[in-house]
Amino acid sequence: MSSISALRRAVVVTAASSLVISAALVAGSQVANAAETPRTGGTLVLLEHEPRLDHLDPSRIYTGRDLAFMNSFHTRTLVAYNPVPGAAGANIVPDLATNTGVPSNSAKTWKFTLRPGTKFEDGTPITCEHVQYGTSRVFATDVITDGPAYLLSWLDIPKDADGNSIFTGPYKNTPAGLAAFKKAVSCSKDNRTITFNLNKSVADFNYLATYGTISPVQAKFDNGDAYDLKPQATGPYKISVNNKTELVLVRNKFWSKASDPVRTPYPDKVVIKFGLDEEVQDQIFLEDSQPNAMNFNGPLPTNKDKFFTNDEYKNRRMNNSDPYAIYIAFNLAKMPCLEVRAAMYYARNAKALLDYAGGPTYAGSYATGVISPLVALDYAPTKVVGPGSPDFMPEGNIPKAKALLETAKTKCPADYKKATEDGILIDVRQSSTLNDTIPINEAAYARAGIKVKFNIIASGYYSTVMNPAKQSDMSSAGWGADWANASTVIPELFASFGGFNLSQNSNDPAYKAFEDKVNIAMKTTDRKKQAEMWKALDKEAMKNFWVLPTTFGKAQEIWGSGLGGVFFWVPQGNPAYGKIWVKK
Amino acid sequence: MVRFIGRRIFFAIVTILLVSAAVFAIFSFLPFDPASLTCGQRCTPQIIEGNRIKLGFDKPIYEQYWLFLSGIFVGRTYGSGSAAFSCPAPAFGYSFNENACVTDMIKESLPITLNLAVGALVIWLVLGISLGVIAAKFKNRWPDTSSSVFVLLGTSLPTFVTGLALLIWVSIKWKIVPMSLDGYVSVLDSPSRWFMYFILPWITLAIAYAALYTRFTRAAVLDTLGEDYIRTARAKGVRERTVLFKHTLRAVLAPIVTLAGLDFAGLVGGAIITETIFNLPGLARLTLRSVYEFDLPVVLATTILAAVVVIVMNLIVDMLYAVLDPRVRI
Repeated sequence: MSSISALRRAVVVTAASSLVISAALVAGSQVANAAETPRTGGTLVLLEHEPRLDHLDPSRIYTGRDLAFMNSFHTRTLVAYNPVPGAAGANIVPDLATNTGVPSNSAKTWKFTLRPGTKFEDGTPITCEHVQYGTSRVFATDVITDGPAYLLSWLDIPKDADGNSIFTGPYKNTPAGLAAFKKAVSCSKDNRTITFNLNKSVADFNYLATYGTISPVQAKFDNGDAYDLKPQATGPYKISVNNKTELVLVRNKFWSKASDPVRTPYPDKVVIKFGLDEEVQDQIFLEDSQPNAMNFNGPLPTNKDKFFTNDEYKNRRMNNSDPYAIYIAFNLAKMPCLEVRAAMYYARNAKALLDYAGGPTYAGSYATGVISPLVALDYAPTKVVGPGSPDFMPEGNIPKAKALLETAKTKCPADYKKATEDGILIDVRQSSTLNDTIPINEAAYARAGIKVKFNIIASGYYSTVMNPAKQSDMSSAGWGADWANASTVIPELFASFGGFNLSQNSNDPAYKAFEDKVNIAMKTTDRKKQAEMWKALDKEAMKNFWVLPTTFGKAQEIWGSGLGGVFFWVPQGNPAYGKIWVKK
Repeated sequence: MVRFIGRRIFFAIVTILLVSAAVFAIFSFLPFDPASLTCGQRCTPQIIEGNRIKLGFDKPIYEQYWLFLSGIFVGRTYGSGSAAFSCPAPAFGYSFNENACVTDMIKESLPITLNLAVGALVIWLVLGISLGVIAAKFKNRWPDTSSSVFVLLGTSLPTFVTGLALLIWVSIKWKIVPMSLDGYVSVLDSPSRWFMYFILPWITLAIAYAALYTRFTRAAVLDTLGEDYIRTARAKGVRERTVLFKHTLRAVLAPIVTLAGLDFAGLVGGAIITETIFNLPGLARLTLRSVYEFDLPVVLATTILAAVVVIVMNLIVDMLYAVLDPRVRI
């Protein structure tokens, strides 16, 4: 699995209906055998190197691929992304609800009406109360970890003195907390319409409703942590086996096509096989020895050329831009000097590292900021970093770096000393490629007289670097938008209230003005105006070098000759698994 | 005999207690906070403290050890309220990473490892001892030279090379043993599928060990054939076959049994490369994954289990000695 998917972070992206995704970005995607008619039956097999999926519990899934998988087969949400190729795939359509949400009160109130005839896998009809209960679970922050946390800050529930919600989830709550929650998330008398009351205007709240964090759960089956092993199905498949070797989904007899406008379940069975050796996985696809299988984690870097330069595989491969922006965050608490941070950017040999990772063909392009081009509306090259910026040179702009360090020498001597004598310590995740990339980095920085050291973290990478006490001078990271709005990027990465701020930038002289602009952008409901604001804020963050942007990533998929209907599903950055069918 | 076994079992229990206490102590003094390892990305101090209490890490170390031991006999309950969960006896802890009782995880993995180890043991003993005897019998002639080629290859090829080669060529390319993604089946359910599932892993493991055992058997047989009592037997006109199988092999078997017992014990939890290449979800894979993920309760349990297997195998080897060598009294 590439380091990117190991980010354990969500990633969904792109464009709302009015937007057009540039042709270049989706050029690699394809529809295999579009002429053939899909066939029902057979078994779809996905081969996975990791020993399991991070989560199955709808409230806890947060990676694009796992969302694409579980939401295609198992978990229904109020609204869903339309599983079609191209830009239209990023449109949201009603799923469990009859509409895509009705906002009122300046988008502070959102109503969804449930579709009749929908059931859980035990036959229980789905009602508003089940969605209400499912929504309450994210507040049990000690049990329901890792999922999207927007509801904690958006729902109109009072906070205690420490700034925590007074509602603490369904497992151990107080009457006051529960009452506050039921006021914020309420059901109509007929138990069919759910209303969300927010503490601020959120114009794109319905995009959050594509996540299982707002989905029906039956309280009687909710056993906390263990619900992750066998959540109740609402989609066309339910879990029949979940163990060390496989996850098996079989048909859910209580699902009906009539009640589901989104899904077309073709295979009789869907199986993920866990823990395969990556080389063995690639050999299986090179030899096509399992025609009904797909590689769930992409080919090894060393085998990519075999798949992508040989015409034999042209109908069973794809290579697409993925929605991640990869960067190295500067920890401003330890690196307050702007000149040293900028020098770190200019001294880096971006070309050598990109070439090592597979070049533009497989590894992606030089990043121009933290907003990926896949968030189409909010993306524009910042022209401060990356292509388009006058000072950017792929192999490094050493004179510029040296000049910046010269300024730092007098302006911030302590930081200068750290960069040139003590060495700047960079957090990196343990991986097999470090042996090669560390020397590339050391040599590149030595050209400008900068010393770098690496803090290699073998396990619990993000829980370590997210801890200010443990974070080093810089930390490698990556982020993709949760949906087609940079409101899930800029505030998350750079605001003090953001969920993934590794820059510790709240004491930076430029911060206060930046946060004010973020707050204005979040309240702006005119989407075009808002997009201009995000573009400007991306540029501003880059000017301040709060992060060192590296690449916009790419991802590859390969599969066997027995599968039809494979296409790239733009919003999830993965195939639309639910549309794949098995040939005879 | 009964007194011997009783005494050995008593000492075995004491040893296991000591090992478990030592392992427990080592993990408790590691520079990790087990509670913070259970925490996801949005980790607040409150969540860490909550998990600490839920998993019992807030208690003093001796109390944690006592809870661990008593859990083995009476089971354990973690957490409180409607999100509480319990592991029935024998409970070896709870894996927060996997959301599962450690005992259940071991119950899933152990049969696979035992099938793998026993099958490989049978193959390498049969192959190793017969090749060794043949090589000794035909010393310096072609059967001996060919067996040394096998020995050289078997000892010098690492298991990850033989394993991958077998899997990629025999299974994926030539489809002689077609690769199945069906997973483990018990021999009772489908002997043929069970055999196909394990045959390549068995061969992978057996090749390395069989080479060593061939070498060892050859040397031991040659040694014994030079003993005075063999000369006496031959002088008395005993048939060559009886000399070889009754008088020589029996003497050679005793050290081989010791070796096999310990090698077998090592395999339970030690066949990491073979289990990984062939995707066998056995104990070694479980241990490896748990070490990577700092899943301490699982590492603790598998370490103790490995110690138990070594102790039990030693006991069995000692008892087998008495059968093989009448001079040994137990």
